[in-house]
Amino acid sequence: MTITAVIHEQQAVPQPKQHGKPGGLLRHTNIVTGVVLGLILAVVTYVIGGLLVPWGTENSNFLQVGESALVAATYTAWVIGFMIGIGAFAGPIRWWLGHDLTHADAQYLAGKGQGRGKYWKYTTDHKVVGIQYLVMAMVLLGLGGLLAMLIRTELGVTWAEVFDPNFYNSIIGTHGIVMVIAMIIVVAGPLGNFIMPLMIGARDMAFPRLNALSFWLLFAAVPPLASNLLLGGIRDGWTVYQPLGTQAPVGMVGYQICIITFAFSTGIAGVNLITTIVTMRARGMTWNRVPIFVIGILSAAIMGLVWFPMYQYSQVLALSDFAFGSAFFIPQNGGSVWLYENLFWLLGHPEVYVIVIPATAALMELMVVFLRKPLFSYKIAIAGFAGVVGISSLVWVHHMYMTGWSPAAGYPFMLSTELISIPFGFLVLVMLGTIWRGKVWTRLPMMCVYAMIWNKIVGGITGVYLSDVPVDQYMHGGMFVVAHFHFMLMGAGLFGAMGAIAYWFPKMTGRMLNERIGSIGFWVSFFAFQLTFGSMFVAGLQGQPRRVLQFDNAFDVSNWLSTIGAYAIGIGMLIFLYAVITSWRSNVIAPANPWGAKTLEWQTATPVPLENFPVLPVVTSDPYGYGVPDPYLTIEKQLTDEDQDAMVGAR
Amino acid sequence: MSELTTNAQALVPRSATTGEPVTTTARRNRLGIWMCIVSDATGTLALLVAYAYLWSLNVNDAWAPPKDTWADPLPFWLIWVGAVVAALAMWWAVAGIRAGRTSQFITGSILASVVALVTFIGQIVQLSTFPFDITDGAYASTTFWLCIATALHLSVVGFLTSAMIGRFRAGRITREDHSHARFVAMWMTWVCVAVFLGAFFATTMNASPNTNSPTFGTFQE
Repeated sequence: MTITAVIHEQQAVPQPKQHGKPGGLLRHTNIVTGVVLGLILAVVTYVIGGLLVPWGTENSNFLQVGESALVAATYTAWVIGFMIGIGAFAGPIRWWLGHDLTHADAQYLAGKGQGRGKYWKYTTDHKVVGIQYLVMAMVLLGLGGLLAMLIRTELGVTWAEVFDPNFYNSIIGTHGIVMVIAMIIVVAGPLGNFIMPLMIGARDMAFPRLNALSFWLLFAAVPPLASNLLLGGIRDGWTVYQPLGTQAPVGMVGYQICIITFAFSTGIAGVNLITTIVTMRARGMTWNRVPIFVIGILSAAIMGLVWFPMYQYSQVLALSDFAFGSAFFIPQNGGSVWLYENLFWLLGHPEVYVIVIPATAALMELMVVFLRKPLFSYKIAIAGFAGVVGISSLVWVHHMYMTGWSPAAGYPFMLSTELISIPFGFLVLVMLGTIWRGKVWTRLPMMCVYAMIWNKIVGGITGVYLSDVPVDQYMHGGMFVVAHFHFMLMGAGLFGAMGAIAYWFPKMTGRMLNERIGSIGFWVSFFAFQLTFGSMFVAGLQGQPRRVLQFDNAFDVSNWLSTIGAYAIGIGMLIFLYAVITSWRSNVIAPANPWGAKTLEWQTATPVPLENFPVLPVVTSDPYGYGVPDPYLTIEKQLTDEDQDAMVGAR
Repeated sequence: MSELTTNAQALVPRSATTGEPVTTTARRNRLGIWMCIVSDATGTLALLVAYAYLWSLNVNDAWAPPKDTWADPLPFWLIWVGAVVAALAMWWAVAGIRAGRTSQFITGSILASVVALVTFIGQIVQLSTFPFDITDGAYASTTFWLCIATALHLSVVGFLTSAMIGRFRAGRITREDHSHARFVAMWMTWVCVAVFLGAFFATTMNASPNTNSPTFGTFQE
């Protein structure tokens, strides 16, 4: 007898054989089984590996390969063990056996009927994954922020040395990479997963199991990175230039394993996001009706998908040098440190846009709601995103002007770097044009729009200076550069993320964000941010180098102000975090569409049902038609009740 | 909705998981496979760039392995031939299932699986019999990693092709819904390209053209 299931009110669909209870092995796996199995496999690998390649083993070139190979194997075992323990391999094995998921299996994996326990499991529902990403981003931002406080403490206490110089350098490197990872995921992770499928009228992501895989790979990547501080640290900054990388303590392996794993996570997420956006849009959502936030996510996913493998392979090869003594970046054996820098920056610069573009697109999306007018020049915004995606792959050498690599290449890359300010400028102009003559409904998300525009202009203009070879000769490796990229990554990226989270908070949590407390946190952070990095611009112009523990007294005042500002940012962020947590736990239920927005995510119930929409929506107009009469509403006034009931289905 | 339309829809196989027509999920999966190939191609490109870069620079005159003991070119091309034969067998299997010839599908899948396994073993043998070690200069390192990448590609191919047999027996691959078999064949075609590029680089770009190599020092204390 054929077993069938009725899915989404359609006819009965034949089901494959149900092997055991729905969910199978994944009924018994969760984060605890993942951590336990990961630790067991890591310890076993360490013990057996230690017998085979004892600590202190040198290769023929006298490199200490024993300890680094052993640590690399241990970290790898942790990642594999954790992924086995959380249940990530169940899907491929079932596929291999031909035991495809039944509808009941899929519903179980999506977390149906599992309460809060689903957040600790290999859950495939995009909304669960979005919340998991949100919490992970906040944890990483907290860790990175704490390290930033330690850095500023050292630099602010100009009369004494607080930390050992090596530990200080490790803090800098770890802060850098933790923040880069956090900023990459802070918008594209929570909102790309939770909001984007709703926004295009889909029931889930294209590949729900890959969605869970991408998150849990990220989770597995974090412990190796965090533990580097216990193993000598990353003393070479987040870029870990070679050959310093191969001469580093074994903590470097934690960085490398983290990046290799994180790159898998990002690649899988990129495949999923692109496929979802291209193939799962609701009927009627033609490309010129796609919300701008979706275009921003698509742009970031394309850049990440194409360029992240370069970064991943730079670390694979660096780990190979470090652990096995190969010669990619070791000049005495025929390697080249410039090769590393090229591979690294081929992602390293597009990554800036992977961070900034989703945040920018999110604020573009929400500002039309608070201005009650269409996005100014939607097509110019699209051109801006396309231009940034295209040119971002042609600018990486501006990070290498001073390395001595091909000085003649500096000028064409100076041109291409300045060129990218044009599409990027489009995006700022679109935001300004949208604000122009708009009636502003000033709420917290809208304040973030103003903050981002200001920060982006400051970061963008200082970036134009730095793209010039002659200016960069003076500025590179200094605090001016540090201030510039913080204005871009934190000023545009993080303040954009704050606005986006404040805007979509009601949909994600079913609660309204306490805007009074949230706004206090936001404004404290914003002004403190200006103080911190404005002072850093001054220190940079005075000539203070970065990653330096001791410096001349001439830089004291700038550093004191920066440190005071940094502590104030920390206080502001804690206040904002307090607003998020208390609002999330409060009993103030948010309406389904508190902002009166027109995009699809606000047209479904809150909390969002498991499969998002009772009936898939059909899009009949662009998402920004504010002020344009709804043809359906006009018609509905002339119809009988029966006719209107029929129209509900049609809409 | 007319009765005719309802009957026509009922004939279209549907995904057991989502209830969508399998043609819809197949289109989605196909794009996903293409994206995976793009991402993997960038990684392969990184390895090829590393090879070509170090070959052209010949830093510290240390590109060549000791005593110029280059790897034998024959195994590289034999492995490529193995990958091509496996891919062709898989495409033949796909053609069979498309035409409803299930025995052709089974034969093709088994052949692809066996050839992929043998080729994978051949790759492991080549890796373990190189006349140099991974530490013996830039050529040795880059060649080792090109071959490791090939081994990883082939191991994925082995997993995918062997799955075809089990999936067919479980009724998951049919004449009406054979998209997964087609995706495996697509992936194998890309693997052929990647293996070819690796073999081409490793066998045709041996001695560095830069006989006046730059000396950058060792950066050692």
